Amino acid sequence: MAVSEESFKSISPAEFFYKNKEIAGFSNPARALYQTVRELVENSLDATENHGILPIIKVSIRELEVVSEGAYYEVVVEDNGVGIPPRYVPQAFAQLLFSSKYILRQSRGMFGLGAKMAVLYAQITTGHPAEVVVAPIKSKHVCSFKLKIDIRENKPVILGFTTTSNISGKHGTVVRLVTLGDWTRSRQRVYEYLRRTAVIAPYAEIAFRDPEGNYLLFERSIDKLPPPAREALPHPHGIDIETMKSVLKSIAEKHVVEGLVESFQGIGRTTAIRILEEANIDLEKKAGELTDLEIETLVRVMKSYRDIKPPRANHLSYLGEEIIVAGLKKIFEPEFTTAITRRPSVYEGQAFIVEVGVAYGGKVPVTEKPLILRYANKIPLLYDEGIDVVYKVLDEKRGIDFKVYEIEFPAPLVILTHICSTKIPYRGVGKEAVADVPEIESEIESALREVLRKLRLYIQHKRRELEEIEKAVAIAKYIPEISESLYRVYKVDIRDTSTKLLELLNSRLKSFKISSLSSVVM
Amino acid sequence: MSATSYSSKVDVKARERALKVLHEKFYVVLKDILEGRPPKLVIKKRTLSNTIYEPERKLLLLGESVFERSLLDLREAKKFMQTLLMASIIYEALSNSEYPTIRDLYYRGKHTIRYRKLPSKNVGEENTWDEQSESDSVLRDIEVFTNVLREEMLILSKEKGKVVGDLKIRSGDDIIDLSKMGHGAYSIEPTPDLIDFIEVNAEFVLVVEKDAVFQQLHRAGFWRSYRAVLITSAGQPDRATRRFVRRLSEELKLPVYVISDSDPYGFYIYSVFKTGSITLSYESERLATPSARFLGVMMTDIFGSNKLNKKPYLTEEERRNFIIRAKERDIKRARELKEYPWFKSERWRIELDEFLERRVKLEIEALAGKGLKFLADKYIPDKIGIGDWIE
Ligand SMILES: Nc1ncnc2c1ncn2[C@@H]1O[C@H](COP(=O)(O)OP(=O)(O)OP(=O)(O)O)[C@@H](O)[C@H]1O
Ligand SMILES: [Mg+2]
Repeated sequence: MAVSEESFKSISPAEFFYKNKEIAGFSNPARALYQTVRELVENSLDATENHGILPIIKVSIRELEVVSEGAYYEVVVEDNGVGIPPRYVPQAFAQLLFSSKYILRQSRGMFGLGAKMAVLYAQITTGHPAEVVVAPIKSKHVCSFKLKIDIRENKPVILGFTTTSNISGKHGTVVRLVTLGDWTRSRQRVYEYLRRTAVIAPYAEIAFRDPEGNYLLFERSIDKLPPPAREALPHPHGIDIETMKSVLKSIAEKHVVEGLVESFQGIGRTTAIRILEEANIDLEKKAGELTDLEIETLVRVMKSYRDIKPPRANHLSYLGEEIIVAGLKKIFEPEFTTAITRRPSVYEGQAFIVEVGVAYGGKVPVTEKPLILRYANKIPLLYDEGIDVVYKVLDEKRGIDFKVYEIEFPAPLVILTHICSTKIPYRGVGKEAVADVPEIESEIESALREVLRKLRLYIQHKRRELEEIEKAVAIAKYIPEISESLYRVYKVDIRDTSTKLLELLNSRLKSFKISSLSSVVM
Repeated sequence: MSATSYSSKVDVKARERALKVLHEKFYVVLKDILEGRPPKLVIKKRTLSNTIYEPERKLLLLGESVFERSLLDLREAKKFMQTLLMASIIYEALSNSEYPTIRDLYYRGKHTIRYRKLPSKNVGEENTWDEQSESDSVLRDIEVFTNVLREEMLILSKEKGKVVGDLKIRSGDDIIDLSKMGHGAYSIEPTPDLIDFIEVNAEFVLVVEKDAVFQQLHRAGFWRSYRAVLITSAGQPDRATRRFVRRLSEELKLPVYVISDSDPYGFYIYSVFKTGSITLSYESERLATPSARFLGVMMTDIFGSNKLNKKPYLTEEERRNFIIRAKERDIKRARELKEYPWFKSERWRIELDEFLERRVKLEIEALAGKGLKFLADKYIPDKIGIGDWIE
């Protein structure tokens, strides 16, 4: 029997993701439409707030043509961001794994995939090219591109390029795609995504026109931007062999001691020397001269080296209590809101910060379970909640017991969790769930307990206040009756007696006064 | 002369006194309010624990412990309002020369308070009082607080006490001959203090718990033959009946005998005449008749007693026909009676122990069943004659 021979070949990243669209969130037309909006909006937010610009983002979806699996939609996302240098536009939009975000800096983008997956999906479902218009800051020109991806080669194909002069002096990016979608089935998710984005970015103005012609505007409710994320040096505890090799390559000509000091957080000369000595590396060597074995030992020593400060977190862009509270107030109109930003913490050599906010009462809908809004690096996470670390903390059986915090469901409660880090341990490139890293889990739990304690104080306070109001009414309602009785016997002025009695009652109340008897008794 | 403007002289005096006391006593409330203090009433407690038996005077009286009813105390606020409301409508009725019944007072004071619940602003409704038991309760508080009884405030209550006998009384401006009532009887008026005794031809008072037995004795001419004033309370005695009996005893110095069913409830009715009731102990001083005697029916009348060297009034066979098995609650009640200080005499111990041992009871009707003649001409006169009563 002839044994058939295995055939070997390599495929391009474009081909790989073309075949495995679902891992990037493009599994069907409904989900793809939502994912397209999401990827483009997130790029727009990165291009604005990370550069100190208050975002103005316009999103529009228009139905062009109905087909059997759904319909062709024109998706347009426009922002007032920094734009993209025209020479990078083709690769940024039509070459998978090309990104400006492959550095150690917190941003929504991370994989160098998002925009390209949207373009790729549009291209293979409708055949339409992507149209990108950019005007970088202070640019004299506005450049328009028509782009396709050469899937086999993972290379951009430029179908058209025009440039006009930038008369108005605007800056930003417009992306236009024609893609297969299913609005009816993705409507709810798209709205939910935009709403949740508005919660966490109250400093952004977001306008949306849907295929049915509805127009929705989330106005800016706070002028404060989160602190910008800055690039950070890698921390020795987060290093691996490959990263180490590329670091060493970039400093190949330097002495290894200086190289380490320059390329890592928390390493000074003394520490560098100690580490190298412990790894048995000749201090005189240049960074490029280390052998593979030496590199391996160096990584091992660095990862477990105790005497180093934990990773710094001052380069992270957290929201802060003020922004979280503003966002929750704007969208939910609750009666009570509070938020806390935890101090930085570390997992696997990566600094991270957890923030939690709660909104309670007011117009918050009353539900059987708390409404959970999960975010990671300011991205709302909508799908896969069951496998997210937050749900482990909130697990009904083993997780937080809300009764301890005097909350009995059904209750009007929204909980917002935000994890920010230079590296979020997403469960997939679709960015919908965060893995349950123990350090993150415990930070979320502590943060949650902290805000719930504050909420409990509020609930208790309010209950006491309500009790006092009830008591006041329970007594005040009898005052007219008493005054009339006294009138029958002593002929004293009814209004006089009532006024005196009300004053007496009010003087005993702490948190509340009855303004006039007529507000209580009819 | 119109019907409402007519008023007897005694009434006018009673009114003036009640008005004055109410006006003075409730002034503390107005004073508190005018001087900026939370108004309150300090009232003696009407509880079992504050009911005291005074052995020398043989009376159940109210003790000295008091409670505060303050408007600003959430638990007392409504009662405070109700007390003032009740006081003011009594005051008004007194000044208008009216004679309200307790039911009238209930209706006069009853209305709906409409108020807004805060913070919801929903409209709430609440009645000044719902049940008559509520208005009755504050009326009792007012009696205790002012030390003026309802009769003295000219409040009428439904009366069921009846009397016949050879005596003439003045009620209002009429003179009534209680020996000329035919088959009927004079029903004791709600304000017995306003009665004057004009002419009395009697040697003792017989109080019969049961109305039916009263009627039988009346028709048999018992009161005429034995020169008795015959009275029935028709069950639990009301205040007017008790006050009337007390006056017969106190003012006319007539001995008073009580006959009731032979069971703990009957015994207790006797003790209410004699000592006062637990729930209304504040009135005892005016209503109780400490010299009243329990004539029967005794347990030892039924079974006889070796200890007392007493023969039974019933034969073995009659006993079998007339006695009834006692219920669990009768037993329980008997045990309670044994604990009351005013039942703690050797004589009562014998009766109660007999009851607890035999666990049977007997209604007075059963004795009448043996023959009205037996009851009227043997049992009662014999027992009075030989002094077989409990003091
Ligand atoms: N609206 C925009 N304004 C400015 N730059 C943009 C914009 N959209 C995309 N870019 C640039 O294009 C690059 C590629 O975007 P893309 O969404 O494909 O990847 P990413 O954002 O880096 O990572 P991720 O796959 O996680 O989204 C970005 O890194 C950014 O430099
Ligand atoms: Mg992106």
